[in-house]
Amino acid sequence: MSDLLLLVPFVAVVLLYLLPKRARAVGLWVAFGILALEAAAAVLDRFATVDVGLLAPLEKLLGFHLATDGLSGLVILCTGLVGMAALLVARRTLESVNERFLFANLVLVAVVGINGMAMVRDLFSLYVFVEVTAVATVILVAAGRGDHVLEGAWKYIFLSVVASVLMLTSLGFFLLSTGGITLDAARTGLAANAPLAWIAMALFLCGLFVKGAMVPFHGWLADAYTAAPAPVSVFMAGIVTKASGIFALLRIAQSTLGGATPGREILLVVGAVTIVVGAFLALTQTNFKRMLAYSSISQMGYIVLALGGDLHLGILAAGLHFFNHAVSKSQLFANAAAVEKQLGTLDIDEMGGLGARMPVTAGTSAVASLSIAGLPPLAGFWSKLLIILALWNAKEYAFAAVAILASLVTLAYFLSLQRKVFFGKPLEKWAGAREASAGLLVPAVALALVTIALGIGFPFALRILLGGGA
Amino acid sequence: MTPLLLILTIAVPAAAGLLVLLLPSRRAPWAPAVLAALACAFELALAIYAFPHDVAFAWSWMGFGAEFALKLSRFSAFILLGIATFSFLVTAYSAVSMAKASSSRRFHAWVLFTVALSAGAVLADNLILFLVFWEGLLLTLFAMIAAGKTRPFATAVKAFVIVGVTDLALMFGVMLTGHLAGTLSMSAIRLPLDGLGAVAFLLLMVGAMGKAGAMPFHSWIPDAAIDAPLPFMALLPGSLEKLLGIYFLARISLDLFVLTPESWVSPVLMGIGAATILLAVLMALVQKDYKKLLAYHAISQVGYMILGIGTALPVGIVGGLFHMLNNAIYKSSLFLSAGAVEKEAGTTDLRELGGLGRSMPITTLCFLIAAASISGVPPFNGFFSKELVYDGALERGWIFYAIALGGSFFTAASFLKLGHAAFFGKPTNAKRTVKEAPWPMLLPMIVLAGLCIVFGVANSLPLERLVQPVLGTAMEGAHGGTFAGFPTNMLLVGLTAGVLALAVANHAFGVHRTGKGIGAVDHIHHAPGLSSVYTLQATGVLDPYRMLVVVVGVASKGLYALDRAIDWVYSGLAAQSALAASWVLRRAHNGNVNRYVLWALAGAIAVVLAVLAVMGGGR
Repeated sequence: MSDLLLLVPFVAVVLLYLLPKRARAVGLWVAFGILALEAAAAVLDRFATVDVGLLAPLEKLLGFHLATDGLSGLVILCTGLVGMAALLVARRTLESVNERFLFANLVLVAVVGINGMAMVRDLFSLYVFVEVTAVATVILVAAGRGDHVLEGAWKYIFLSVVASVLMLTSLGFFLLSTGGITLDAARTGLAANAPLAWIAMALFLCGLFVKGAMVPFHGWLADAYTAAPAPVSVFMAGIVTKASGIFALLRIAQSTLGGATPGREILLVVGAVTIVVGAFLALTQTNFKRMLAYSSISQMGYIVLALGGDLHLGILAAGLHFFNHAVSKSQLFANAAAVEKQLGTLDIDEMGGLGARMPVTAGTSAVASLSIAGLPPLAGFWSKLLIILALWNAKEYAFAAVAILASLVTLAYFLSLQRKVFFGKPLEKWAGAREASAGLLVPAVALALVTIALGIGFPFALRILLGGGA
Repeated sequence: MTPLLLILTIAVPAAAGLLVLLLPSRRAPWAPAVLAALACAFELALAIYAFPHDVAFAWSWMGFGAEFALKLSRFSAFILLGIATFSFLVTAYSAVSMAKASSSRRFHAWVLFTVALSAGAVLADNLILFLVFWEGLLLTLFAMIAAGKTRPFATAVKAFVIVGVTDLALMFGVMLTGHLAGTLSMSAIRLPLDGLGAVAFLLLMVGAMGKAGAMPFHSWIPDAAIDAPLPFMALLPGSLEKLLGIYFLARISLDLFVLTPESWVSPVLMGIGAATILLAVLMALVQKDYKKLLAYHAISQVGYMILGIGTALPVGIVGGLFHMLNNAIYKSSLFLSAGAVEKEAGTTDLRELGGLGRSMPITTLCFLIAAASISGVPPFNGFFSKELVYDGALERGWIFYAIALGGSFFTAASFLKLGHAAFFGKPTNAKRTVKEAPWPMLLPMIVLAGLCIVFGVANSLPLERLVQPVLGTAMEGAHGGTFAGFPTNMLLVGLTAGVLALAVANHAFGVHRTGKGIGAVDHIHHAPGLSSVYTLQATGVLDPYRMLVVVVGVASKGLYALDRAIDWVYSGLAAQSALAASWVLRRAHNGNVNRYVLWALAGAIAVVLAVLAVMGGGR
């Protein structure tokens, strides 16, 4: 247990509000420092040493339990990386000090929720932390300046309420059927094939499907991502949706479902439908961020699909794709922010030939696109390969075929995006466009380098992951 | 004798070739030719020194059984000697004939590479290594034709396509042979000729015949005769390609596979040989160009070699191999005489030539000896090898013998016509004063003509030293162990003499009818039935390459239509349906939050119902 992961961001938020208004500029850097420390702790695997036991009485009182493992490390690392990138984007795209201060604070609150999700071992606490993150995120979306922010935030709240209802009902059913809401108790109930426990599980999964924007629970995502200010999109797409929906599914698949029927089948079908629908929706979008949003839906479908495959390989593959997608998608949203800042529009049809004017943005965006589309030797190739292998080992050949065919569509929409935005003749209209400022390029380049390095060094990374898992 | 010397036979000409390319050509235009001749002289010395030895070694090379293995056997030593001899004579000749040609440097470099690759192909004892050298020869062939003067590129492409296709067959054959034998070491392979073995043999055979220029892989040679430099004709279609092609054909028939007279492959080979003899010689008969006439004979003579080897009898095989050697001698001599005539008279068109016998006596003498040899006149070498082939062919079936004998008639007739038109009669081109060719060009011709006599009169020398050792133990017991000496079957000798007499009579008839040497065979050319075939051939309709080009054209149009259809499925149908699906889904997402909530609830209900259904089914 490492209570500092919860306490430090929380205390930081409180302390930041005690600062005089003049000093608020420091808030962004405080949040950046905290996230850097988080990432470092995850990389160095030092969770045990940041545990000071402050929350122990609370745990005893409320009966919840925190523990870290490889999966927690993964999500905390992603939170650190994505959060830092989002803060850097915020520094260049949010105009007033106050906006940036608010953004940093809400990110820290969301981080409390995400860290909590990463460490809890019971369904109720999981629900609570999911809601903490959701509240912070709704405010983040709504705090934007655009015309559609309220609409986006509203849809997010509305569907979140549906999710809350589903999850709370589920918790009640769990209490009725198994008498406990820890992940272990739920597993025992499911293993005994108690129908009520399975209904409870189904409802909880549906709640998480809403949070993770699985088709057909995905209605909110595209509007929320598109309406949100640039740094919020980076943060939401990079980690929030993934942690509160997909990571929770990962955790449940790992500790509760254990490959049991019909949980596995649900994950397979929902995952496959999400991949295909998301990919086809992305194909004809004309708004840069909206296309990325539907692409996110499709890619999260891959992670869920992997969970329906071979148990161990599936979780490994899902974890890797989780990481790769967090890195590449937040980077693409950072690229979108750079383009939007230069052109003042996100309409793909108006763009063209920007590669000549914004070579770094174009290059990094190509890296991320190709990685997500699964081209070797980039990181996304390996995780997609492992996903297909996991399905193959579980003899789910049809789903493996879906995964392969859908990656063609993925390639198609990413190529069309690259072509329409960056390739071709430089348009007269954008003769004045310049490469984005260094502050926006740093996160994009850093994340692209992660993608390349992980891709090339993947065999070593896999050895470390497997060695750590053993 | 060490492995190093074997490698030198490949490395020295290759290095000399590189050196030629690096030489400053402006300052010393004679240097490439001299260097090539010197390198070939060294090659000849090496081949003579290595001749009596047996050397074999193998270095591991690419893995998968592909070793760098060279082996000097009786057979390869014989062929290596031939390659070195002919390349030396031709380079000595071309030092003069090509001295002023702008392409001299490139040409000599390619000659040297050809020599190196030929030596490698003959010495290789591993099928993959053999293939590497053999395919390399395809490139040098292309490059040498392209070094010609008039419109060589189309001809070079034609040769490249024809030989390339046969090489492809050879490649498949090598793969299949390696698969069947379980080894790629040539001296370790010995496969029966049945089932897949026969297929592998036929594939390898196509490769060998493509190199030797047998029908139907011949049609680039007459074109090259016009377009390519003349030393090329003497060197490649005249000698080296015959040596290599027949060497490989004999290797696969004698060593790699067990060719017996009972096998169905034997009549196939004999049939191809007989057809090549007759069809090519008929074409040669009516040519009006010195070089082109020789080119068709270069094809026709291969038929005797294939026929001899195809008999699968010791007498036929010895005859075929002996004929290979003899043909290389007299055919390169003939090509060199054509070169001399072209250089001195300025043309090779028989209609413009005539009466050269007085101004070019030595060339004429060499030509007469070589022509008598190719026509099978005793006591020149061609007579003896043809008699051996006849002997074997008659034993396997009278029809093969009859065709081969018919081929001899036309051969003799066409050389009577050629000799008469070019060297005798009245000089038709009186304006130009023609003088004898320079000595460096005459010497190789004289040497080759001398060999025609020596290998005929003293035929035990080539037969017992060079050819018969190839067969090894198969020679024991047959004909008392040697085929040397005068033919024993006097009936066959009598028939040959009769055919030669007929050819002379035919010539006399033709000359009497038209009044000039060039018209000697016009009555055959314009005979009813034959004349239309000749017309078709003259327009190129009967050229297998032209037929292939037409077939490929039609096939490629058909494939293009198919490709468009497939392309439409991908970029039309697939893309359009993907876009349609996308559009439908997009329309469904109208931004109405109620709709989204409804979807989510419906999804939740569906999931719960699915769970219940599975649980119920599980009971």
